[in-house]
Amino acid sequence: MRNYLKPQKKFRVIFFIGKGGVGKTTTSAAVASYLASEGYKTLIVSLDPAHNLGDAFIMQLGDRPEEISKNLFAMELDMEKVIKSYLHHLEDSMKYMYRYLTVINLEKYFEVLSYSPGIEEYATLEAIRDILKEGDRWDIIVFDTPPTGLTLRVLALPEIAKIWSEKLIDIRRRILDKRLTIEKIQGERKFVIEGKEYKLPSREEEDEVLKELINYKMEVEEVLKTITSDERTSVVAVMNPEMLALYETERAKESLIKFNIPLNLIVINKVINLDVNIPQLKVKMNTQREVLKEISQKFKNIDMIRIPMYEKEPRGFERLKELGKLIVEVG
Amino acid sequence: MLKKIKYFFKGFMGSFKARSTEFIEFEERELENIFAVLLMGSFIGIPSPPTTLLMRIMPHMVREIYVMQRRAVDMDDMIGEMAGLMDIE
Repeated sequence: MRNYLKPQKKFRVIFFIGKGGVGKTTTSAAVASYLASEGYKTLIVSLDPAHNLGDAFIMQLGDRPEEISKNLFAMELDMEKVIKSYLHHLEDSMKYMYRYLTVINLEKYFEVLSYSPGIEEYATLEAIRDILKEGDRWDIIVFDTPPTGLTLRVLALPEIAKIWSEKLIDIRRRILDKRLTIEKIQGERKFVIEGKEYKLPSREEEDEVLKELINYKMEVEEVLKTITSDERTSVVAVMNPEMLALYETERAKESLIKFNIPLNLIVINKVINLDVNIPQLKVKMNTQREVLKEISQKFKNIDMIRIPMYEKEPRGFERLKELGKLIVEVG
Repeated sequence: MLKKIKYFFKGFMGSFKARSTEFIEFEERELENIFAVLLMGSFIGIPSPPTTLLMRIMPHMVREIYVMQRRAVDMDDMIGEMAGLMDIE
């Protein structure tokens, strides 16, 4: 069994990335099924807003982990629900606090917030974080991700979020420092707005903003630590023997190196093997051969496996398990 | 009589204290303003921090948003404010 698919320190996280339509869902479902049948308690999560994990298993999945076979749990994340519940919570607390704000029409702001750029990526990151937080419940967590572009942006976020929180913490500390200086001379200061009085926080332990910032930074760092550790995380790139898929995988590899996230295995899916000679397919077969040659040159140090194109789509637990065995076991 | 002197000194000291922190308070307000602007940057077209982080700290930002708003209103009289600070009447 490939070592980087087995849990070593605590639980193992496996991301399946790739261009749309190359077979990420099938491959990830196959690997998860096989690992579960080998006795690892496995959770497979679909992060793709266009869910089709349920289709691979031929069953309906919910947004909570459900045991669909022995040791195998599956869920499809409902991104819209996640975003809505955030906004709902925020709106309530803000409406109460910011009654005085009429210049900035906050209500309208909330209405459009769910369409604001980046919110889907952040919600995805948040969802991954929530799952990792309870990661000890499983031996292996498999993520079936949306097409490469979005996934790479999500994986880049923890680093960006960390930089943001560090800078904001820095400014916040300077504000509190000034406040404390003033307080020492003037005495405790109150801030009155709409007849309500607030004490102006001046120490780190009484400032909610700083507390939230520090908590957020710690959470992000935890995610970052998990996904950049090769003992905890593996990435499997799925591709087809086509030029475009090859280019995209190459770019993905470069991005992953930049984020320090290990790329371990490349699954070349839907490889056509024919014993008979069909003239109409000759050009396609030739291109495929060329691409395969190029792949083995470009990804020299990465494990690779070829999966033939099946006559029938592998669906359902038993067939997926067989396919999974092909991918997980060496040789 | 003694009470009056006491009041006088209290007032005197109060004004003295207020003057001594004037500059720091100005700096404080500036920092609070920058902090709020950074968070609400999407309104004026600068990149925002992670939306989820924003959502978590916004409920505690009443004062900073208020300062930012005042700052925006007083923006057309920056010279006035600086003059006030420098004691130029």
